[in-house]
Amino acid sequence: MKNNRIRNVLKGLSFTSAMFIFQACYGTPQDFGYDRLVEGQVTSETTGLPIKGIKVSVAGDNSYYVTTDDEGKFSFYSEKEENVLIGFEDIDGDENGAFRDLFKTVEDISESVYLEIALKDKL
Amino acid sequence: MISLKKYAFRQFKKIETRAHELNYLFWEFTTRCNLNCIHCGSDCAKDSAFKDMPLNDFLKAIDIIEDKAPNFTVVFTGGEPLLRNDLEQCGTELRRRGFRWSMVSNGQLYSQQRHYSLLNAGMGALTISLDGLEASHNWMRNNKNSFEKVLNAIELAASSMRLNFDVVTCVNQKNIKELGQIKDLLILKNVKAWRLFTIIPIGRAANNPDLQLTNKQFVELMDFIAEQRKTKNIDVKFSCEGYVGKYESLVRDSSFFCRAGINIGSVLIDGSISACPNIDRSFAQGNIYTDNFYEVWQNKFQPFRNRNWTKTGQCKSCREYKDCQGNGFHNWHGNKQNVLVCHHQKIEQGSA
Repeated sequence: MKNNRIRNVLKGLSFTSAMFIFQACYGTPQDFGYDRLVEGQVTSETTGLPIKGIKVSVAGDNSYYVTTDDEGKFSFYSEKEENVLIGFEDIDGDENGAFRDLFKTVEDISESVYLEIALKDKL
Repeated sequence: MISLKKYAFRQFKKIETRAHELNYLFWEFTTRCNLNCIHCGSDCAKDSAFKDMPLNDFLKAIDIIEDKAPNFTVVFTGGEPLLRNDLEQCGTELRRRGFRWSMVSNGQLYSQQRHYSLLNAGMGALTISLDGLEASHNWMRNNKNSFEKVLNAIELAASSMRLNFDVVTCVNQKNIKELGQIKDLLILKNVKAWRLFTIIPIGRAANNPDLQLTNKQFVELMDFIAEQRKTKNIDVKFSCEGYVGKYESLVRDSSFFCRAGINIGSVLIDGSISACPNIDRSFAQGNIYTDNFYEVWQNKFQPFRNRNWTKTGQCKSCREYKDCQGNGFHNWHGNKQNVLVCHHQKIEQGSA
């Protein structure tokens, strides 16, 4: 703790910005952590069973998505922003059952979020 | 009498060295490459004799790291990391363990699909090399299509708000007169950060005069960077490759401090434990296949953390030694009796 204080004082006196983070010569800049893990499981509201093949994406960005696996699970990293709208869309027709799309807003900006999503049957 | 600023920075370096907190780890992920450049920034040799290191071997080495630093970043380097199809899986595993990860790439295989899958896997920073306008870049890459591909990669990377992305350029005889145009091109492509290097005369670069700058040109480069930093439309900086005397505060965000072996480590393709991959391989401090990686990091690395041994050759009587400490560690090769490049001397001679 004491060392950290001295370090920060010396850093300040030498005009090394508090925000300065080094990068190695042939390396990359350091990752500032602007993303977060979004993971979860999609199930059928009627049967409780997992649904495969559901497209999970950040709404408004169609080129960037994952699909749920055999256990209905998904996982990806997205921008760490408030009020991100995550879409759950049945894009494979009747192949794994027919379900209504659902959009869920993630309000906080925590490092990771786990979503349990139950989709209604398509009428 | 030295300024308070200089004195404080020297003390700051001492504290950082004593603490030697590992927070930046290169993983030489593969030595395979899809290009055969005239110069290579990683190890200046094209050698694909080594098999790619399996993910589990690397994980076993780093899983024993205690008290991991915040923002600890693993940097995938090569060779060309995109040649490995398990890159995303490796990245995901690292994120799961609390590491961040990034990559240095030539951009040739950086398609839109790959861009999204890398972001999905938690890539947080990226560096792509662009070594000139079309003719000079393609000359350096030994490939007539590489410019088009790398521009496509740069556009994709720059479109992401979450990536800490920069472009690096090795300045040489073919591109030094193009720097202004390259800057304009990068701004047009929405690039926010641009880092400029020179090439140290090792490997394939040792006997190619087109790759080296004269002392006068080096001063021109310093002046160019200093001038560009006054405008705020792109963050231009000189790399951390060496101490640049009177230009220190003009060309970078912070004074020169070679952090190799102090905060920067590496796991090289054969399992060697070292610092930046371009450092002479004889400086390896151990091997992940025979040693405990974290113990090596904690207890070895003496030549990196006490650089008094570099007070030899022209450094022995240099007035700038306390601030330079032998220049970038990668400038010590072969018999290590003299520094390979003295940037400060280049400036003194080039300014005369």
